[in-house]
This record gives sequence, C-alpha cells and structure tokens, in this order.
Amino acid sequence: METSNHSIETQNLSLWYGDFQALIDVSVNIPAGKITSLIGPSGCGKTTLLRCFNRVNERYGNVTTKGEIKILGKNIYDPDVSLLELRKTVGMVFQRPNPLPISVYDNILFGLRIHSPFGSLTRSQSDEIVEEALTSVFLWDDLKDKLKTRATSLQLEQQQKLCIARLLPLKPQIILMDEPCSALDAKGTLAVEELMSVLAGTYTFLIVTHNMAQARRVSSECIYMFLGELIEHRETQALFETPEHPKTADYVQMRYG
Amino acid sequence: MKRSVLIYQSIALITLAVAFILFWSFSKGTPFVESGLTFDETAADSYSVLQENLYRMVPILLGSIFFSIAIAFYLEEWLAETSWIYGIIAQQITILASIPSLLYGLLGLYFFVLQSEKGSFFTHALTFVLLVMPITIQSTQKAIRGVDISVREAAFALGANRWRVVVDHVFPNAFPTIVAGICTAISRVLAITALIIIVYIWKEHTLQSGDTFNIPSSVIVLLSFALLSSVISSFLEKKTNLT
Ligand SMILES: Nc1ncnc2c1ncn2[C@@H]1O[C@H](COP(=O)(O)OP(=O)(O)OP(=O)(O)O)[C@@H](O)[C@H]1O
Ligand SMILES: [Mg+2]
Repeated sequence: METSNHSIETQNLSLWYGDFQALIDVSVNIPAGKITSLIGPSGCGKTTLLRCFNRVNERYGNVTTKGEIKILGKNIYDPDVSLLELRKTVGMVFQRPNPLPISVYDNILFGLRIHSPFGSLTRSQSDEIVEEALTSVFLWDDLKDKLKTRATSLQLEQQQKLCIARLLPLKPQIILMDEPCSALDAKGTLAVEELMSVLAGTYTFLIVTHNMAQARRVSSECIYMFLGELIEHRETQALFETPEHPKTADYVQMRYG
Repeated sequence: MKRSVLIYQSIALITLAVAFILFWSFSKGTPFVESGLTFDETAADSYSVLQENLYRMVPILLGSIFFSIAIAFYLEEWLAETSWIYGIIAQQITILASIPSLLYGLLGLYFFVLQSEKGSFFTHALTFVLLVMPITIQSTQKAIRGVDISVREAAFALGANRWRVVVDHVFPNAFPTIVAGICTAISRVLAITALIIIVYIWKEHTLQSGDTFNIPSSVIVLLSFALLSSVISSFLEKKTNLT
C-alpha cells in the first residue's frame, strides 16, 4: 500500500458546537511514528481537534463536522468504519489521569476485554499482557505486587503511566494526549516525556500542551492554532526559533519574552 | 421563572393531596377529622393488621427502590441526551421529591391506621411508592451525574459502548451515593412508620386506659434504624465527596 507516512490527514476540517465554529478549515498531516505537539492559547480548539480523531466529539449532541479526516489512509466518517475499531487504533490519554476505579490489573485489560469475545483470554495470557504493558511504561517493578490495588489510589505519575499502559494491549497506531502532564509534578512530567520518547517510533503521538518547553523537548513537529484555525505547522525547532507567521511569533515570544 | 412554576406546582399538588385526604375522610365517615382517632376493631387485632401491612411493604419498598434506580439510569443515560421529555419528567420528580414527608405521613396515617382493614394493597403501595420513589430517583440521578466525566471518557475512548460504560463504570462508581440516597429514603419511611405506630398506640392507649405501654419498643427500634440509616447516608455522602 502506498500510503504516505502520515498517520492522520485532515482536509478542510470544520466543526461547530451549535452555532459556534470551533474549528475552521483545518488541513493538517500528522507524521507517523513521531511526536507532534499542538499548542495555542486556551480555547483555540486544540482539544476539539484532538477529539475529532477518535470521534468522541460526537457524544455531544450539537456537534456538526465538515471536511475529511483520514486515519491511516481511511476516512473515519465512512459508513463502514466501526467506532470500536477506530478507538482501538486511536488511543487517548487525558489531562487528568483517569484510570478506571478498578484494579490496576483490570485497568490494563479493560480495553482488550471490550475488543475480544467473552472468555477468549486465558488467565496466563492476561497475566502476560499485563506484565508486558506495565513493563513498557516502566511500571512493572513498582506495581508487580500491587496489581490488585485500585488504580485510583496510585500516585498521579503512576496513574498517568497506567493510562498509557492500558492502551498498549490494543496495539493502537496513534496515541492522542491532551495535556498529559498538566496534573503531574516536574518529576512525573519528565518521566512521562521520557516514556513518550521511548514509545515514539512504535506509535504516532499527538500531544496537546500548554507547556512550550515541553513541546520543544519532546516533539519533532509542532502545530500552532489560534481561534480554531491552524496558523502554522512546522518542525518544532523551526517553529520556535523562526516562526513564519506573526501570530505564532507573538505567542511563542510572549511565553518566552 | 422556572422556580416559581415549580413552587406553584408543588403547592397545587399538596393542596390536592390534602383535599383528597379530607374529602375521603368525610365521605367515608371516618372520624379522623371529626372526633379524634377511634377504632372499632379490638386492639390486638388491628395491631396485627397494621404489622402485617407493614411487612407487606418490604417487597414494595425493595421493588420501588429497584425501579427508581432503573428509571434514574434510563433518564440520565438514555433520555437526557435525546429527548425534550426529559426536562418535564425531571421537573415532576423534583416536585414530588420536595413535598414534605409530613404530607406523606398523613397519607400513610390515613391508609394504614384509619383504613387498616379497608385499605387495599394498592393504596398502601401507593403511599410508599410516592414516598420512596421520587427521592430515590432524584438521589440516583444526582449520583449518576456525579460520576466523574473522565471515567466515562476513559471508557468510551477505549471503545466501550454506552451499556458497557453504565454497567462497568457508572453504576459501580455511583453506587455509594445511590446507597446514601436509598438510606435517606428509608429513614424517611421508617420515621413515618414510627409516627404511624405512635399515633396508633396513643389511640389504643386512650381506648384501654389500664394498659402499660410496652409496644414503643418497636417504635424505638424503627427510630433507631431510621437514625442509623441517616447516619450511614451522611457517612457515605461525606466519603464520596472526598474522593
Ligand atoms: N462541548 C462543547 N460545547 C460547546 N462549546 C464547546 C464545547 N467544547 C468546547 N467548546 C468551545 O470550543 C472552543 C474550543 O475549545 P477547546 O476545548 O477545543 O479549546 P482548547 O484549545 O482545548 O482550550 P484549552 O487550552 O483551555 O484546553 C472553546 O471556545 C470552547 O468554549
Ligand atoms: Mg483543551
């Protein structure tokens, strides 16, 4: 298949909440196997854009979408697209760590259980999957004796890593992250960033952040949005050092000024 | 504006209910209004009738709790997003839930004490259903709305469908709050039952003025259960507020 090396492609994507247009003609290509960051002032539509990619926006009744979104070359609004499959391919990590209030073990398996026929996972398979997922996020050593504890009682950093870990058994291609570190302390932030860098390559990351230092540290490409429009999308380094658009320059310099 | 509509509606409802009780009392010639409480049955008989009626209420109580929870989930999880009827139903439930329990007590008193023989299973059930369901539905609705949106989002984003989200997550998470609501409802029922029994005993006592007062133990038991369940409910509420 001659698919480009873009995991996500949108064409003139517009989105309205009722009468309010939150996204205006956004056309963007997100490179596969890299970390792309999405920055911009509060309310500019970052979360909205992110949520288009696994179609969770539709849960609000008054949302209208126009334009095209292709994930791995497939239009996600095609009638034959299954939401179940889409959400398996496109994982999401939220701003506040939101492990499900069940055990660590069950958190990791929850997604997989939804996607596999009842009873098709043996105990040993499950154990293996849990170990593998926790190992990939560097939590196995910390949590191997705590698999039965409620995930919501872990430290925030562990919770957020767990939220990443629970996506992995589904073998997603893309992981969307909405301000994944804003609830974490500096140490937790660095740990999650490091984790992303290790996992990038295997997965495509799209991360919304308010922290420009973070965008610079982790992402290879960066998108600047303003009032629902995509203003600039370039290599991170270039965007920060030689912004092309005056609005981008304003924003980047305001923060660094 | 909405608030005033609510108040008028509740006043209308209360007036209607009181009028209904009074009218029924008069039309049947029950001496409830005229000359205090008198009874034709012998004390032992009517007490056992009363007790029997109360026991019969247990399945009704459980049934209405079950239905309340089901209705609340239906309202919040399915109807709320899709239908305008939701607003109307929710409003009616609020009205019913905000009627003072004294009125229900009056209703209960009427059906259980004054009509203890004539009162049908249906009328008894109605009292309890009216007493229990609105508060239980309302508190369950609040519990459901109280489940953090992030939990839903997490489950939806992992591919869960609505049913799965409700069964696996919303319900278990709302559960303590739901139980707290049920405890409130039950303590309301128990307190009112105790009230009914007190009135009943008091009436018996005036009938047979040699008797010692040995029945109040049941009242004390009821009241302590009422107290216990409101303590449990406030404990649960505190606990769920913390997390
Ligand atoms: N469910 C919704 N209904 C109506 N309007 C919404 C909804 N969600 C977001 N909006 C509006 O859409 C615009 C974009 O919101 P969005 O959450 O995407 O911004 P954001 O860039 O993520 O902001 P932040 O940095 O604060 O998270 C905002 O003006 C917001 O008020
Ligand atoms: Mg946001």
